[in-house]
Amino acid sequence: MKNLNRRDFFKSAALGVSLTVLGTSKAKGSDKMLSDDRLGILVDTDVCVGCRHCEWACRVAHNLPTPDLDNYSDNSVFKEYRRPDAGSLTVVNKFENEKNPLLPIHVKVQCMHCERPACVSACIVGALTKGDDGSVVWDDDKCIGCRYCMVACPFQIPTYDYDRSIDPHIRKCDLCTDRRKNDELPACVNICPNEALLFGKRDAVLAVAKTRVKRKSDVYVNHIYGEHEVGGTSWMYIARKSFDKLNMPHLAANPAPGISESIQHGIFAYFVPPVTLYALLGTIMWITKRRSGDDDELISDEEEKGKGGKL
Amino acid sequence: MIPAPIKYKFITPGVIFLILIALNGLVFLAIRFISGIGAVTNLDNATPWGLWIGVDVAAGVALAAGGFTSAALGHIMHREEYHSIVRPALLTAMLGYTFVAFAVFVDIGRFYFIWHPLIMWNGNSALFEVGICVMIYVTVLYIEFFPMVTEKFIGRVNFPQFLDFLNKPVDMILRYLDSRLSATMFIFIIAGVVLSTLHQSSLGTLMVIAGQKMHPLWQTPILPLLFLLSAISVGFPMVIFESLIASRSFKLKPEMKILSRLGRMIGPILGVYLAFKIGDIFIRETFKYIVIFDTAAWMFIVEMALMMIAFALFLSRKVTRSPLGLFIASSFVIAGVLINRMNNFIIAYNPFYNPVKYFPSFGEISVTIGCIALLVLVYRAIVMYFPVISQEKREIIRKI
Amino acid sequence: MNKIYFIIIPLVLVCCLLGSNPKLQTKNPKMEENMVLLQDKIKKKKMPENPYENMMQGLKCQSCHAGDYPNKNDPMLRACLRNSMLATFHFSPEGPDEVVIDAMSENYNGVAFSHKIHAQMSDMSTGCSGCHHYNTSGRLLSCLECHDSKRSREDITVPDLKAAYHRQCLTCHKQWFHENGCSTMCHTRKTSNSTGSVQSPPSVKGKTHPPLKEPMKMVWETNSETGKIVTFFHNEHNKIFNISCETCHKQDNCLKCHENKKHDDYSGTVKIKKSFENHHKACIDCHKGSSCQKCHRDSEREPFNHVQSSGWVLKSYHSQLSCAKCHGSQTPYKKLDRNCTSCHKNFITGNFEHGKAGLVLSENHKGMECISCHTGSDFSKTPECKTCHDDKSYPAQSPGKRGRK
Repeated sequence: MKNLNRRDFFKSAALGVSLTVLGTSKAKGSDKMLSDDRLGILVDTDVCVGCRHCEWACRVAHNLPTPDLDNYSDNSVFKEYRRPDAGSLTVVNKFENEKNPLLPIHVKVQCMHCERPACVSACIVGALTKGDDGSVVWDDDKCIGCRYCMVACPFQIPTYDYDRSIDPHIRKCDLCTDRRKNDELPACVNICPNEALLFGKRDAVLAVAKTRVKRKSDVYVNHIYGEHEVGGTSWMYIARKSFDKLNMPHLAANPAPGISESIQHGIFAYFVPPVTLYALLGTIMWITKRRSGDDDELISDEEEKGKGGKL
Repeated sequence: MIPAPIKYKFITPGVIFLILIALNGLVFLAIRFISGIGAVTNLDNATPWGLWIGVDVAAGVALAAGGFTSAALGHIMHREEYHSIVRPALLTAMLGYTFVAFAVFVDIGRFYFIWHPLIMWNGNSALFEVGICVMIYVTVLYIEFFPMVTEKFIGRVNFPQFLDFLNKPVDMILRYLDSRLSATMFIFIIAGVVLSTLHQSSLGTLMVIAGQKMHPLWQTPILPLLFLLSAISVGFPMVIFESLIASRSFKLKPEMKILSRLGRMIGPILGVYLAFKIGDIFIRETFKYIVIFDTAAWMFIVEMALMMIAFALFLSRKVTRSPLGLFIASSFVIAGVLINRMNNFIIAYNPFYNPVKYFPSFGEISVTIGCIALLVLVYRAIVMYFPVISQEKREIIRKI
Repeated sequence: MNKIYFIIIPLVLVCCLLGSNPKLQTKNPKMEENMVLLQDKIKKKKMPENPYENMMQGLKCQSCHAGDYPNKNDPMLRACLRNSMLATFHFSPEGPDEVVIDAMSENYNGVAFSHKIHAQMSDMSTGCSGCHHYNTSGRLLSCLECHDSKRSREDITVPDLKAAYHRQCLTCHKQWFHENGCSTMCHTRKTSNSTGSVQSPPSVKGKTHPPLKEPMKMVWETNSETGKIVTFFHNEHNKIFNISCETCHKQDNCLKCHENKKHDDYSGTVKIKKSFENHHKACIDCHKGSSCQKCHRDSEREPFNHVQSSGWVLKSYHSQLSCAKCHGSQTPYKKLDRNCTSCHKNFITGNFEHGKAGLVLSENHKGMECISCHTGSDFSKTPECKTCHDDKSYPAQSPGKRGRK
């Protein structure tokens, strides 16, 4: 079912692109050239041991309440699948490894920092922006809390403070922008004991990912998740199991905001369609008014009504 | 046939009932503003948009389409005979959009930043376009409504004793504005139609970005077109629906002459909409999802059935001639579009990780119904105070 | 011998480096003299013609260096070959008992690593190179020499030091953290009054691996349709056929033995899914060309029996011998032919005491060539008297006295 959905979606996506005649797919925002120096992080799920230190470090770095690090050794949190929420920007989940049950697969979840982010395209006030370094960052001062980014995100990442009336935040990984300003690594990358999170320039990281998948072809499935998904993401994953089974959505290579933006730009191509429509309607109005033989019809009509009202 | 305030008693048992519903809604509204959205709604991180967006905003905008369709018919196509429906439709649109704006104010987390889109632009965002268009359109609607205010007050501005020195200047201002508006009203009327066309369609674009999170029965790149067509289709039925309800409520004679003619136009418009909708299903071969008969499929069947029955009804002369037939047929269209919007924004939205299927909470439903009740009450108050609904002169004289 | 290698290899390497650089070659004639000297030395020590062949385990320069002219500033190194490149000529008992890892001890005391016991265990798996990977012959490289101590670094193809350390341990000890946290098993927290010296837990110090218990016979019921039962005599492979443990257990994961059933709810033993090929690999590597029925039977197999397996009855003298005496020290054992002289090279005419075969030859027959009676050199067949004598027949009339001499 899921699979069928997807195929149909792509089919309709293709249809959409061809339908938007005026679209010319000149999506201004998303055609911005991406910097060659943009960042990437590789999650090697085979190296990750599920210590969840990244969760702890992330909370500390973002001033979110967190229990003591020693409490993180508790294995029972893995019993249920978790997602990031208002209190944690990243979580690690455990998946069974049927080939060797003693080596379960741990998968960290956080914002993927898409190359062509849907949330940035969607945000009504431009509170989400894609930086030159590749990070997708949320602006507290702009956000109006409409949660359209959450609707748009193909990875279901942005979360919202549903329990706050004043100053609710959209929360998601910001690639530790503040820490990096001080020449520090992102908190999760920094604390990871195994360097299961490999941080560097996206090209270099991708090269390492390719090497590892090739070198240990008997271990890894031949798929670098995030290399092509929704036009590529900053975070990438390699694993010994199909990503479908690791609760990672199956996505195509076309950028998430693609069709939406081309429709949008089709309707609004340099304001030509609205202005044309305006002119057209004006002409019709003028013609019909003349046909009725009275140039001042509308005004006199209003006046007439006015008189009626005064009765 | 001249628009005039309706003289009728305001409080009736029905009105009291509406007031109670509205008060219930206001209680939950208060909780939402004190304790946050989570305290009232069933929304979560998997389902960020629910009833308030699906019904209050999306369906609200669609059902307020009577304003621009009748304006297009009455003013732009210049069909004088329809002028009497323009004012009530305009009022519905004005109140409807105010209601929509209020719903947005309630639903967005940082309601105090609702003005941000005015100065912070994102041209790529469909929501931005909807927001801006709705904001401008609400203003335009208020301007369009303004003649009714001037009509009411010119020559009879009467402030209380201690402010009575203001009577004259205010009267002058009103007269000046009235004359300026009369000359420039056509600008606003056309603008209103253009803005409506834009945001009615962009409302459809909204969900396109949700991609495969949206059920393939609804996720189509022609969503904007379908939204626009369905909005146009529901415009006249909404006008008919209101007019008939108002006549019944105020014990007036239904304006069957105009309504029947209006009704006859609905059939073809619905036909166009259905042609696109059904064509879309066949081109994308999504009909296979209908035969699964899950919740989504049934909701789709209901939506389509309502629209198709309405289409069949509107094609019949017999139906368009009788008030009851018109009322039922119009109700079908309204219900069809309402369910279509709910389907698009709620039923169709099915993300890959969704442990708790969304169903609106009692609080959400209370707020939505409360707001609608409030809307009806305000409508009633306005038509009783301002010259909105056209009546036979005879009747007016008799009532006076 | 080893010490000399240590001197020679770097020298040779340097010379080759310099020698391969055309500029230096022409500018520095002294180098050539050095080269000659070195070659002489090598010859004196009876080194193989190509010294790298032995020393670098068949590594070519190109295995590590991408360019033709690598130098110190730009070694043109390729990506790490890691496990494919074998290293270190050491044996587990040579290693230290315990190693303290404290290169990164800012927040924690150093970590006491029980080297010996791990070295012993590694014999059953990857050997020394499992941990000391990418270490060419010669001294052992410290982790720091390849693994950067800073995580933020230029070359991310190699993990940083922290990761290198942790991966060494956590790849096997994946469950440790969840059982005990970091500070119990490895890292003791630094306190203000601690001296920084590492107190290794007494349980680790000098610990050796307990002797392994060897199973005698293993019987599996397989999914195979015909011949469900597979019997494997572990002791025979090990003791009789003299196959070393590593021959089969070279890829074993520590977890195969050291699974922790206490804390995780995986019940029973570790079942690792394998493909059909991988599943049979352990046996087929040696038993190439055998039919399925060799292993897959309908009932349990009997233990090894020389008669049944080879058709050769080990009588008296032969039954006393160790297998290696005939089959050689090389395992797996090769099949031998039945020609006595294949082994008994000294069994030639006049040298063989025929009495050993149970018949002391009479004077008449003593001086004859062996093949006169044993036609076709087939000693397993009893000779026929009739080939020479018309009137006699064996065994009624024997050519000598029966019984051993």
